[in-house]
Amino acid sequence: MQHDFYLAWRYLRHHRTRSLILIVCLSLLAVLPLALHILLDEGERLMTARAEATPLLVGAKGSAMDLTFNALYFSESTQTRITMAEADRIALTGWADPLAIHARFRVKGHPLVGVSLDYFDFRRLSLWSGQMLAMLGECVLGAEAAESLGLKPGDSLLTSPENLFDLAGVYPLKLHVVGVLGKSHSPDDQAVFVDLQTAWVMEGLGHGHAEAASSPFDPADLAADAKRVTYTEITPENLDSFHFHGDPANYPISAVIALPHDHKSGVLLRGRYLSAEDAAQIVLPLESTRGLLQNIFRVGALFDGVLLLVGSATLLVLGLVFALSLRLRQGEIHTIFLLGCSRATVVRLVGAEILLLVVAGGALSWALLVWIQCYAGDWVRHFVIS
Amino acid sequence: MRRFFLFLPWLMLVGVSLAQAGAVTDSPKLKIIASHYPLAYFAERIGGNRVVVNQPSPPGEDPAFWKPNAKAVGDMQKADLILLNGADYEKWLPRVSLSKFKLADTSATFRNEFIRIENAVTHSHGPGGMHSHEGTAFTTWLDFGQAGKQADATAQAMIRKRPELKTLFLENLKTLQADLAGLDAELKAIAALKPGLALFASHPVYQYLARRYGLNLKSVHWEPNEMPGKEEWEELQKSLAAHPARWMIWEDRPDPEIADKLQSLGLKSLVFSPCANRPESGDFLEVMKENLENLRSAMH
Repeated sequence: MQHDFYLAWRYLRHHRTRSLILIVCLSLLAVLPLALHILLDEGERLMTARAEATPLLVGAKGSAMDLTFNALYFSESTQTRITMAEADRIALTGWADPLAIHARFRVKGHPLVGVSLDYFDFRRLSLWSGQMLAMLGECVLGAEAAESLGLKPGDSLLTSPENLFDLAGVYPLKLHVVGVLGKSHSPDDQAVFVDLQTAWVMEGLGHGHAEAASSPFDPADLAADAKRVTYTEITPENLDSFHFHGDPANYPISAVIALPHDHKSGVLLRGRYLSAEDAAQIVLPLESTRGLLQNIFRVGALFDGVLLLVGSATLLVLGLVFALSLRLRQGEIHTIFLLGCSRATVVRLVGAEILLLVVAGGALSWALLVWIQCYAGDWVRHFVIS
Repeated sequence: MRRFFLFLPWLMLVGVSLAQAGAVTDSPKLKIIASHYPLAYFAERIGGNRVVVNQPSPPGEDPAFWKPNAKAVGDMQKADLILLNGADYEKWLPRVSLSKFKLADTSATFRNEFIRIENAVTHSHGPGGMHSHEGTAFTTWLDFGQAGKQADATAQAMIRKRPELKTLFLENLKTLQADLAGLDAELKAIAALKPGLALFASHPVYQYLARRYGLNLKSVHWEPNEMPGKEEWEELQKSLAAHPARWMIWEDRPDPEIADKLQSLGLKSLVFSPCANRPESGDFLEVMKENLENLRSAMH
C-alpha cells in the first residue's frame, strides 16, 4: 500500500501543473459554498449584535432600513434629517435617554460622526491612546480609521467641503486628533468621531470669526462684516469667538438612539410615534435588520442552489477529465501490467492518486476556510455593512 | 425554642432593615459639579454627606464669565452630575464636550419666564475680560420662587443618579425649600414697606429680583473696585433726575471713594450679593439674610 501511495505521489509530482489544477478545482468546489455561509453567518452575527444593542431608533419618516444603516453603520443616506427637538422630545417623556447621532459627513472615505460623550459609554468604546473629546474642534478616531489615515493624537485632519462650488455649504475645518479608540470590531472602528457641536460648526451653524476693529455700531463695519476672516481651525486663542446661530432645538441630526429605562417605557415611547402626521418614525433596529437578513438569506439560498448545480457540473467535468487522462495513460497502464502488476494494483495506484488529490484539495480548503474565518468580520464590515 | 420562633419574624425584619440601610450608606458619594455657588449650596443641603460638590470656577472669578480649559472639562467629565443654571449662564457649554446624561439644567422648568436683555453695553472687569450682559438675564436664583424650583430640579437630578437615596434627598429638599420660602416671604414683606421706591443697581444682575419683588430698579455698569469715569458720573447724574433714587445696590462693598462720591450725590450704598461664588464666611442662606437686612435699611 505504501508503495502505491509512493508511486501515486511521484506521478502527481511529475505532472505537478495538472495535479495543482485538479487540487484547486476540488478545493474551490468545497470552499465556495462554505465560505459563503461563513460570510453570511458573520454578517448575521455582526448585524444582529449591533442591532440588539440598539433598543430603539428615531429618525425621519421613510425607509426604516436606510435609517437603521445610517445610524448603526454610518452608511451614506438620502434620508431626510430630523432636529435636536426630537431628542428633547424623547428626553421630556422621561421614558428614555436620547443619544443624538449626526452621520452626514465623510472625511477621506471615513464616516465623520457627531455624537455626545454618552455614545462612547453606550457602545463601550474606550480610548487606546490620547484623551477623550473635551473642546470644540477635536476628534477621536476609530482604530481602523487611525490606521488607514496614519494619524495619532496630536495630528490634525482637514475636512473637505462637499461641493467646491457650494460657497455657502459645508465648512472645511481642521480637526485636532486628541485620541484613538481601542478596536471594537464594529463600524465604530472606521469612524472619525466629533462632538455634535463640532459637527454643527461644519454644517455652518456655528462659527468663529475675527472681530472687526471698529465699533459694532459703525456703518463701516457692515462692509467689514463681509470681509471678516472666518476661522477654519479652532484653537485655544479663537475658541471663545466660536458661537452658534439659531435655536439649538432646530439643529440637524441624522437619528436618535432612544434608550428606554425599562420595557414598559420602550412600549410607551413607541406609542408616541403612531400618528400618521408625525414627521418622525421610531424603529426597532433588530426588526429592520432581521428583515434585511431574511432577504440576504433568500439570496444565499439561491446562491446555494446555483453553487450546487455548478459544483455538480464541475465534478462531472473533473470525472471526465480523469477518465480521459486514464485513456491517455493506456500505454503506461499497459506497461505496468506487462511489468507483472495485477489489474488490482493498477486500480490501487489510480485510487491512491485520487485519494491524494482529494486530501490535498481538502487541506487547501481547510486552510482557505480558516483564513476566511479569520477575516470574515473585517470583510463583512468593509464590503457589506459599510 | 418556641421563644426563638416567636422572635424569628422580628429578627428577619431587623435584618432586612439593616441590609437596606447598609445598601444606602454603601452607595458611593455622588460627585457633583455645580456651575455656581447657589447650586452647589442646594446640592450640599439636599445631599448632605452623601455628596461631594465642587464648583469649577476659581474663587476670585465670576462663574458667569469663567471659561473652562481642557483640564477643567476633563474634571467635569469625571463627575456623576453637572448642575447648570441655564438661562445662558454657562456660555462655555457649546464649546466643550460633556455627557448630556450628566447635565441637569435647573432652570428648564421656567425657561418661558426668562428675561431678555437688549442693547447691553460691553464692558470689562476681572480676569474674564470684555463681556456683555446681552441675551438672557441669568441671576435666576435671586427670585427665591425660582430658586425653589432650581432646588427641586437639583434634587430630581440627584435622585435620578441615586434613586436609593430618594427619601433622604426629598427630606432635605423640604427643609431647603422652607428656608427659601422664608426668604421669599421676608423679601416680599420688605419690598412692600415702600412699594415703587426708586433704586439704582451697580450692575445689571438684579432683573429677577426686581421682577419678583416689584423693585423700581435702574442699572448702571459699575464695579465696586473700579472708580467710574467722568462720563459715567455725568450719566448717573442725568439718570438721577428721571429716577430719583436714594440707594444704589452693589454686588459687593464698593471702594470708600466711590461710596463717598455717591453719598455726595445723595446716593447711599447697600450690598445685595448674588453670592455666585462661595462666600469667605457663612453660606448662601446667611448671605441672603444679610442682603435682606441691607435692603430693609433702604426701605425704612
